[in-house]
Amino acid sequence: MTASTAILAPTAPVHPEGTGGAAFSLDRLEGKVVGFLDNAKPNFSHLVDAIAELLSTRHGVARVIKHRKRAASIPAETSVLDALSADCDLVITGSGD
Amino acid sequence: MTVCSSAFESLGRAQAKALGQPNLPILRIAHPFGNRSRTEVETMARECVDQLATLVAKGNPQEASGQASAQAAHAAASRCERIEIAGDVDAVNRLFRRRRWSDGLPVVAPTPERVERMLQGVLRAPQSVIASVAPAFGAATLEAIAVNAVASGCEPEYLPLLIAAVQAVAEPQFNLQAIQATTNSVAVWVIVNGPAAQQLEVNAGMNCLGQGTWANATIGRALRLILQNIGGAVAGEMDRATHGQPGKYSFCCAENEIDSPWESLHVERGFARSQSTVTVVGAEGTMNMNTHTKDADQLLRVFAETMQHPPSNEYTHGGEPWLILCPEHANVLQHAGLSKADVKQELWERSRMPARRMADRDLLRVLESRKDELGPIGPDTLLPIAQRPEGIGLIVAGGPGTHSVYVPCFGNSLAVTQEIT
Repeated sequence: MTASTAILAPTAPVHPEGTGGAAFSLDRLEGKVVGFLDNAKPNFSHLVDAIAELLSTRHGVARVIKHRKRAASIPAETSVLDALSADCDLVITGSGD
Repeated sequence: MTVCSSAFESLGRAQAKALGQPNLPILRIAHPFGNRSRTEVETMARECVDQLATLVAKGNPQEASGQASAQAAHAAASRCERIEIAGDVDAVNRLFRRRRWSDGLPVVAPTPERVERMLQGVLRAPQSVIASVAPAFGAATLEAIAVNAVASGCEPEYLPLLIAAVQAVAEPQFNLQAIQATTNSVAVWVIVNGPAAQQLEVNAGMNCLGQGTWANATIGRALRLILQNIGGAVAGEMDRATHGQPGKYSFCCAENEIDSPWESLHVERGFARSQSTVTVVGAEGTMNMNTHTKDADQLLRVFAETMQHPPSNEYTHGGEPWLILCPEHANVLQHAGLSKADVKQELWERSRMPARRMADRDLLRVLESRKDELGPIGPDTLLPIAQRPEGIGLIVAGGPGTHSVYVPCFGNSLAVTQEIT
């Protein structure tokens, strides 16, 4: 008969019931306000500028708002997040190098 | 939505899931991105916009998933999962290896009996949540901490210290989120002060950063396993370290309060000498400073010149570098009439580095990160390593010898000191 060993898993216990995340629900780009949270990594500001230009000229985005963090490895300030959340229909952030 | 360079897409998805947004759209671009030409960036921008337009055109009816949000998990954490394994301790280690729950070394099987023994002496419910651990924001329940403590080989009397360490790393100023998911080599260094250091036999003397002391080895190891197994920072997944470092196996010592000529770290930070504390530091690594000089001025000079290094997060952000002075070097400085604060002032002034020593792209990061602090920055600007002299951390540790240690740190993280209760 094979011996058995009981252990407790070292991972975070998760409650079996939980709420799901919100679905992505943007139905169009025209007339929308798009925000950018620039992570300050090299080249990301150029990507932001280029995407913003395309969204404005080709997809009818009404307004673009840009915020740039001081550094990639710090969280954005709460006031910035609140402003983007209040003013924008879509916010685009960046991750990676 | 977020733009991810391909090498970081898995991190983006894992992070989105951890934050309760498993359906967050990700716009994928090629990696590496930072070295692309302007023309290439514009091409990538068009690709991003095409991806976005496709998402919008499809209507993207992504249903909310049944995944638990971080907040829900935190608020309603339950008991650790019990797993029955066919086999003995070898089978346990095979499971840990398969599930990536280990640090690469064999573990002590966290049986329910061992975990219960670990929990004795801590008068809290096992499912009580000590902290939420980034970047997965897993709930570090007392029981889950104890499981990792057992697996690491900790003695039960180490558990209050570990609890304090988990509380400390979860403090916002420590910036655990960044430390866990970065490409940087940063490890979490645990410094123990007060009576607990001797009571738990945490080594503050010879080879205190090396192998051989049970408390140093297992406490540091347990914290790393907690950061990995509860915090989700599995190497190559949410942990994106380019190399990592040996300190990510274990990095723990006590301060040598007996041989230090100054007040201890925890007294310096406002605690009573009779209190016991842990201090957590985001440490990039260690660099030995072997100098036989008995002259305080020369000692400070060579230390300061060691601290100056162009590819440095400290100089980029105005960080919090640390030094471990051996008792001999500390006494040279103290005998010259220098207090700990004086040493920090001297090192801060002497370690200022001309901005021109940094690579061009790195200097751009400095301009971005420190313009509010320093004003206009040019090639001849002398960059201070920390924003203030007080930002340099300093302890006395180690045994006999003429070696001190420079510990460069993550830059955008501040050490946290937590009482052990």
